[in-house]
Amino acid sequence: MVRGLAGEAAAYAELLTLMSRYFRGYFGRRLGAGAAELEDLVQDTLLTIHLKRETYDLNQPFTPWAYMLARYKLLDHFRRDRARTMVPLEDAGALFATENAEEGAVRRDLGKLLGALPPRQSQLLQDVKLTGLSMEEAAAKSGMSVSAVKVSVHRGLKTMAKRVRDADG
Amino acid sequence: MRTDELIAVLAGAATPVPPGRAQRRLLLACLIGLAGAVFLVFGAHLLPAKHDFAEQIRTAPFWMKPAYAAWFAVGAFMLVDRMGRPGAKPTAGRLVLIGALVAIAGLAAINLATTAPDLRMHALIGRSARFCPIAIMISAIPALVAVMIALRGMAPTRLTRAGLAAGLLAGGVGASVYALWCRETTAAFVAVWYTLGIVAVGGVGALLGPLVLRW
Repeated sequence: MVRGLAGEAAAYAELLTLMSRYFRGYFGRRLGAGAAELEDLVQDTLLTIHLKRETYDLNQPFTPWAYMLARYKLLDHFRRDRARTMVPLEDAGALFATENAEEGAVRRDLGKLLGALPPRQSQLLQDVKLTGLSMEEAAAKSGMSVSAVKVSVHRGLKTMAKRVRDADG
Repeated sequence: MRTDELIAVLAGAATPVPPGRAQRRLLLACLIGLAGAVFLVFGAHLLPAKHDFAEQIRTAPFWMKPAYAAWFAVGAFMLVDRMGRPGAKPTAGRLVLIGALVAIAGLAAINLATTAPDLRMHALIGRSARFCPIAIMISAIPALVAVMIALRGMAPTRLTRAGLAAGLLAGGVGASVYALWCRETTAAFVAVWYTLGIVAVGGVGALLGPLVLRW
């Protein structure tokens, strides 16, 4: 945050990304994971952090400050929600039709991981694990033997799993 | 908009923020309030003009009043600054406020102890007891408005408390100016009636807080 306040965009983006993850958890615990308004609240809080960043005192810890903002946004949300009218049951389907932003984030991460693999291995993984081709079909498509496809897919998954672990740890 | 896109946009807009910008705005609000109070007390012809400034300025009791009010305002300023920052602890401001109260209470005690018993009531009530708190409240109006606006631009999360702090600050500012006009000279008077006026403004602030400080 200190570097973000000094105008370092990269450090600031990193911080906001990290906080968005924390806030998703924070709001998720209070509203139920996957609540439609979850991502709105996360974004709202990030925006608030940005707009109110001058009220962060460099001598104070950052996290309590950020969570107080999140709490304020949550209370604000409850206050507005109370005033909102009930949705008739016939229209309730629309509530569940919202796109899950979380899913988009997962797809993005997956794309990043696949991109880090050799192109042929990445193609095989997508064919077998995402498109749902059988090992034989994938082998015919790539011109490799079935056992070579199996080995390549297995190694690819292992590499990706290792990357994820390293990134987390 | 997806969250990572929002983050990219915000990071792109991450212009440097000079430290202490919020405090400076709060200070500016106090100065505006101070100027407003000077206008109300000396410029607006609400009160009779004062001619004996020069001779009063040389006496210690004259300075005691604005000193107490200003001391109080400094503590309230620290409090408001904390209240505008989510998660910040208001300990230091509270200590300064308590210090001001203790100091004036001590002076008042000495004042009353050294006054002849039949004059004590006069020292306490003076000539303007009923008028003084109301005058302080009116003098505090410009500061209250300015400080509330500045505080709203920060990020208060406990609105009643934030409003109380803002009211105490405005009361301190208003009282500092009114003290220059006021003719009372006893510490006992200041301890009771000035404090009452300032705290009344604090009460107004606390009532207004949840209504006007929401952002």
